[in-house]
Amino acid sequence: MLRAVTALIALIGIGIVVVAVMTILSQQASGAQPWGNELSDNIIFARTIPFVLALGVAAGMFGGAMSRNASSTRSGQVRRFSRATVIGHWIITLGFVLALPTGVWQYLGGIVDVTAPFPLYLSYRVHYIGAAIILFSLAYFLVYWWQTGHHSLYVPRTQWSTHLRGLAAELPAQIGRLVTRVFRLQDGGATAPVGQFTYYETAFSFPTWTFALALITVTGLIKALRYLTPVPGPVLWGASTLHVAAMVLLVLKLLDHLRYVFARWPLVVAMTTTWVSDQYARAHFPAWRQKRDPTEAA
Amino acid sequence: MRQIAAVLGIAWATLNAVVGAFFVTGAFTATTAQKEGIAAQLALFVGGMLIITFGWLLTQQSWRLLRQRTEQ
Repeated sequence: MLRAVTALIALIGIGIVVVAVMTILSQQASGAQPWGNELSDNIIFARTIPFVLALGVAAGMFGGAMSRNASSTRSGQVRRFSRATVIGHWIITLGFVLALPTGVWQYLGGIVDVTAPFPLYLSYRVHYIGAAIILFSLAYFLVYWWQTGHHSLYVPRTQWSTHLRGLAAELPAQIGRLVTRVFRLQDGGATAPVGQFTYYETAFSFPTWTFALALITVTGLIKALRYLTPVPGPVLWGASTLHVAAMVLLVLKLLDHLRYVFARWPLVVAMTTTWVSDQYARAHFPAWRQKRDPTEAA
Repeated sequence: MRQIAAVLGIAWATLNAVVGAFFVTGAFTATTAQKEGIAAQLALFVGGMLIITFGWLLTQQSWRLLRQRTEQ
């Protein structure tokens, strides 16, 4: 029943987005405004943002409902990620592939003073499509996590020292010692067994993803808002500067993420098939495998 | 599949390293950064160096993945 209701909500959401986009495009194409391609794209993007976010919310509810009751084990394998997570992960990946290189190009063009062999508005257009996909994905994941109660990547306030100690143990010795010193952690002693995610993922990777994505989203929204309402110059300048800083952070995050998962290939496979071998799970995520319950796929 | 991912990883890291190199050289040559001052130049330099470093780490890992033959 819940699946049917959320499927209906998602379908209504898709319908509303299609109607909204058609309406916005027809208004833009009417020729009533003397805007060029770039300004026109800016305004289309700014006006579609609320609909894209709403569609992400509807899709997240649907994903949450779909992930319930999925089988969690099969012969020699255990479900690492839900189908909803896998789909969401590849959708946001597509958003990055479109938005990040085009964003870098816009910034780099100014630095190296090079003109592309194609009009600049095309770069912006692809950037906005990628940004819209990322906005959709963020709304999708937030609602999906809220609906399913998955919070394995989130470190409760009282457990930060445990996770930081685990992180220090997972890092190369020199960097680990630095982390121990900086956060004034007690050196030595065994760290708690790894749960559903490694300490690197919980104490470093997920928090930095969250920070960088939040920063690029908020600053991007402020930049887009200026096409709909006046935004004070200093605020816009600050948002633009921080948007570039967030872009560089995301470039680094993506490189680091690829490096990390390439060294753990079964996790890349799991992010495609949803499954990881029971043997791998027991070896690398012992605490997760010991107290696993059937609804726990992330 | 592993090999395709590894090659794509090397390609991505290389492109990023080129971007990083533009950042580093831009820190010394870009007129916009010079006008904005030392903080902007330093940000470009540090950002570029970090991108090159992380790109190199990904290249190394992708190379290892490329040469792996057995299942983990």
